[in-house]
Amino acid sequence: MAVRANPRLIDELELYGAEDVQKCYHCGNCSAVCPFSREPFLFPRKSMRYLQMGLEERLAGTLEPWLCYYCGECSEQCPREAEPGETMMSIRRWLTAQYDVTGLSKLFYRSWRAELAAVLLVALLTGAGFLLFGLKYGGGSLGVYAGPGAFLPASSVHVFDWILGGTLAALLAANCARMWWLTTGRDRRVRVPLLDYVTRAFLVPLHFVTQKRYRECESKRPWAVHFALVASYLTMLVLIMLFLESLHAAPANRLAHAFGYLATAGLLGTTLYALRGRWRRATPLHRHSHETDWVFLVLLVYVAATGILQHALYRWFGLDTAANVVYIAHLMGAVPMLAVEVPFSKWSHLAYRPLAMYFADLHERALARAASPAGAQSVPAAA
Amino acid sequence: MSVAASQRVGVFLILDDGERPPARGGPPGLDLIRSYSSQLPEVVRVSTLPATPRPDPLALASAIRRDTLEAVVLAGANPGALKPAFTRAMDLAGADPARVRLARFRRGDGSDRATEAAQAAVACAVLGVPYHLATIRETRAVHAGTLVIGGGVAGIQAALEIADAGQRVVLVEKTGTLGGHMAMFDKTFPTLDCAACILTPKMVAVGQHEMIEVMTLSEVIGVDGTPGNYRVEIRNRARRVDPAACVACHACMEVCPTIVPSEFDAGIATRKAIFMPFPQAVPNAYLIDAASCVYVQTEGQRCGACVKKCAKQAIDLDAEDEVVLRDVGNIIVATGYEPFPAEQVERYGFRRYPNVLTALEFERLTNASGPTGGRIVMKTKRFNKRRKVEEWVCDPEGPQPASVAIIHCVGSRDRNHNPYCSRVCCMYSLKFAHLVREKLPDARCYEFYIDMRAFGKGYEEFFERIKEEGVAVVRGRSAKVIEKDGRMVVRGEDILGDRMLEYPVDMVLLSVGLQPSPGSADLAALLGIGRDEHGFFRELEYNADPTGTERGGIFVAGVCQGPKDIPDTVAQAAAVAARALRSVVSGIERDSSGGLTAAQVESRARELATQLAAL
Repeated sequence: MAVRANPRLIDELELYGAEDVQKCYHCGNCSAVCPFSREPFLFPRKSMRYLQMGLEERLAGTLEPWLCYYCGECSEQCPREAEPGETMMSIRRWLTAQYDVTGLSKLFYRSWRAELAAVLLVALLTGAGFLLFGLKYGGGSLGVYAGPGAFLPASSVHVFDWILGGTLAALLAANCARMWWLTTGRDRRVRVPLLDYVTRAFLVPLHFVTQKRYRECESKRPWAVHFALVASYLTMLVLIMLFLESLHAAPANRLAHAFGYLATAGLLGTTLYALRGRWRRATPLHRHSHETDWVFLVLLVYVAATGILQHALYRWFGLDTAANVVYIAHLMGAVPMLAVEVPFSKWSHLAYRPLAMYFADLHERALARAASPAGAQSVPAAA
Repeated sequence: MSVAASQRVGVFLILDDGERPPARGGPPGLDLIRSYSSQLPEVVRVSTLPATPRPDPLALASAIRRDTLEAVVLAGANPGALKPAFTRAMDLAGADPARVRLARFRRGDGSDRATEAAQAAVACAVLGVPYHLATIRETRAVHAGTLVIGGGVAGIQAALEIADAGQRVVLVEKTGTLGGHMAMFDKTFPTLDCAACILTPKMVAVGQHEMIEVMTLSEVIGVDGTPGNYRVEIRNRARRVDPAACVACHACMEVCPTIVPSEFDAGIATRKAIFMPFPQAVPNAYLIDAASCVYVQTEGQRCGACVKKCAKQAIDLDAEDEVVLRDVGNIIVATGYEPFPAEQVERYGFRRYPNVLTALEFERLTNASGPTGGRIVMKTKRFNKRRKVEEWVCDPEGPQPASVAIIHCVGSRDRNHNPYCSRVCCMYSLKFAHLVREKLPDARCYEFYIDMRAFGKGYEEFFERIKEEGVAVVRGRSAKVIEKDGRMVVRGEDILGDRMLEYPVDMVLLSVGLQPSPGSADLAALLGIGRDEHGFFRELEYNADPTGTERGGIFVAGVCQGPKDIPDTVAQAAAVAARALRSVVSGIERDSSGGLTAAQVESRARELATQLAAL
């Protein structure tokens, strides 16, 4: 089969943040220092090669970028200063855009103005929507935060959360299906038996919750920070999706609140730490920041801060009106953050990374089976 | 071709490729050239042009007509490229199209010298006088002697060429013997000749030559004078052994209590404080290393054992350094290089694992006259009773490696270290692989390379031969040497095979690159010559004058000018000897290479212009 080359592939990747790809002279230093680079997934050099040769289809089918955690060792030791680590990061952004079925991701990554406009638009719609809802169907008065007559009754918000969650999950699932097709489904070299899909499926939740591969990096700190962030976020997600009403209940549910404080502290601590790192450009990971990285972090900090603020205003100071205003402001941050980031931008990696580990495992098994004579039972023996 | 004083000339300064016209200020030196040009009486207009896009002849013609220019001068790095456009423009403007003159110069880093040369070139072009006629120096008598700095193969070759032509040479060498790095080598590539068999006869010839004065343990500390007549100040460090009296009987060495690593054996063997660098050393006599001698270090309080043992009474431990003066006409700089310090690349484990060796260490290990008699052995642990520590030594009876990995480009082609290619490492690595396969036919040998630079005569064939000898040649620089289950493992990507390799090996050889010797900066300042961005001495003109320097009568040869192999070094050394002999034989210095100011060139050019006008 003929291989098509796209001579403008590097130019395209530059819109996603890639730099210096042409400097690479393929010494293989980066692949060899990388703690994750193992057969059959050798990187980052091979990805640099695909880029230099313009092998767009191959690049769209690689899982390698999702197996990279950007510890930066490759970039530190690169004799050409070709920044292989940053290239892998840019390919992840590019892949996110490839997987996205709507095409919005391409727009957001290539133009920060478009992403910002989308965030603002969703924010305004959210604010207006909740305000109208509160006035018309809710309590009608901003002076009541919780209980009977609440401006935004927890039960209604709860329903809204499930609708939003379901929509985003559906979008993300469509993207994941496309990811499967690009990386595994259409790849004729890997024939994955159905049974493997079932028996290895546990890898997805395992990697999702533990991010255990990240721990294999030489420094454990980035993993610890990331794990704390994810744990906090998941805690918050569970609280909001399942226990939103008990959070709003009049006699304080101490257990739910304790978890809430912990999660907020975790979210604020880790995101501020990440912001500081990017600001100071301390590590190779933080040396280059795409506009989307800033949007994501700033939104997270904003949402966590307004979340705890509306809680404090109501619970500690009894300021119902202020609490309601901040609550709407909070939703105006949270909704666009989720709507833009989860299916179309940086946050989608919450699905792609664990899936990539899962697919990589399937690939490895399929290739091993094809290579070993015992596994080739279906093929008639030559002798 | 003559120039009437009234002639109206326009000067067009052409920027270098990619240089944009500066809004304010300008690239280094450009403003000075500009202001100089505009004060020349004939010049009525100076303007700046980018190299690309090419100017439109019609627009130029109107500019020429506006200023009623009678001649134009195109000045820059490559003014010829714009000449057709200007010739056409002159024609269109009704002026003489033949009067488009070129002033070619390189502004370079904007140094004073480059600016002066550029100004001089513009002055000559404005006056219509050939540059090379106006810049011939006044001739002056040249001293017949030549100073050669550095006693490696380059210095030896240059000294012999000059001395064999019957002229005097003073050869100054920093260490205690001639020979340099080449004396340490086992074989040369690609011919696999014995390096010592080529070099030692030349060393002896230098040592015995009636026209060569050899000064070892010496350094140039001052240079005074002008091209053709230099007075050089040389410090001779005390040898403390009279080379004329010493018969190299070894009695002194046997009683010397101090043991230190041997420089000549690249640290894999030891020597005493009184020692001979190697048996074929020239001068063939012992010397005392003041830094490790107990007597010298205690200022005569202790030891002195060797003096009592010396039957010839050749040892004078209280001898002092002396400074001598020599008059010479030319100076040849051949100070060589130092190998890249492999410990700077931590991931290769040099000094962490005992059997990671640098190229020079392996040269000594595999050398038949080396500490193991040429037997390739792994280092073994031994208890040092005197220092009460365990240390790794090369025991001639030690175990031999079953697998050897050779890693190319250590410190070379790497922006974290030296960005340039050191030119010799690929070939000497292939030579190492051959020696390993020849001496240990059962040992596996791996070469990890980025690009195989087998560029010289017979080199590609040598590479093919090594591959046929069963060496595993892997495209991909291995990234690190790690320890797994008590064995060294070399990890690298096999790029052509699309595999990740982890080879367990017994020995790793690091093909370190070459870098300027440590004293280069001081010497360059002393001599008044330039260095390039990597610290190598800068030649005057890369293509046309690769041995000359900015200062007349001072030449460079060998690796101190840039990494090169032995054949190229010897060729350059012979070339440099011819340059020195040219002025010595003619007896006059007619060097056109420098020293004249722009004003001097301009006044000469004016004289020449009037002479030409009178014809």
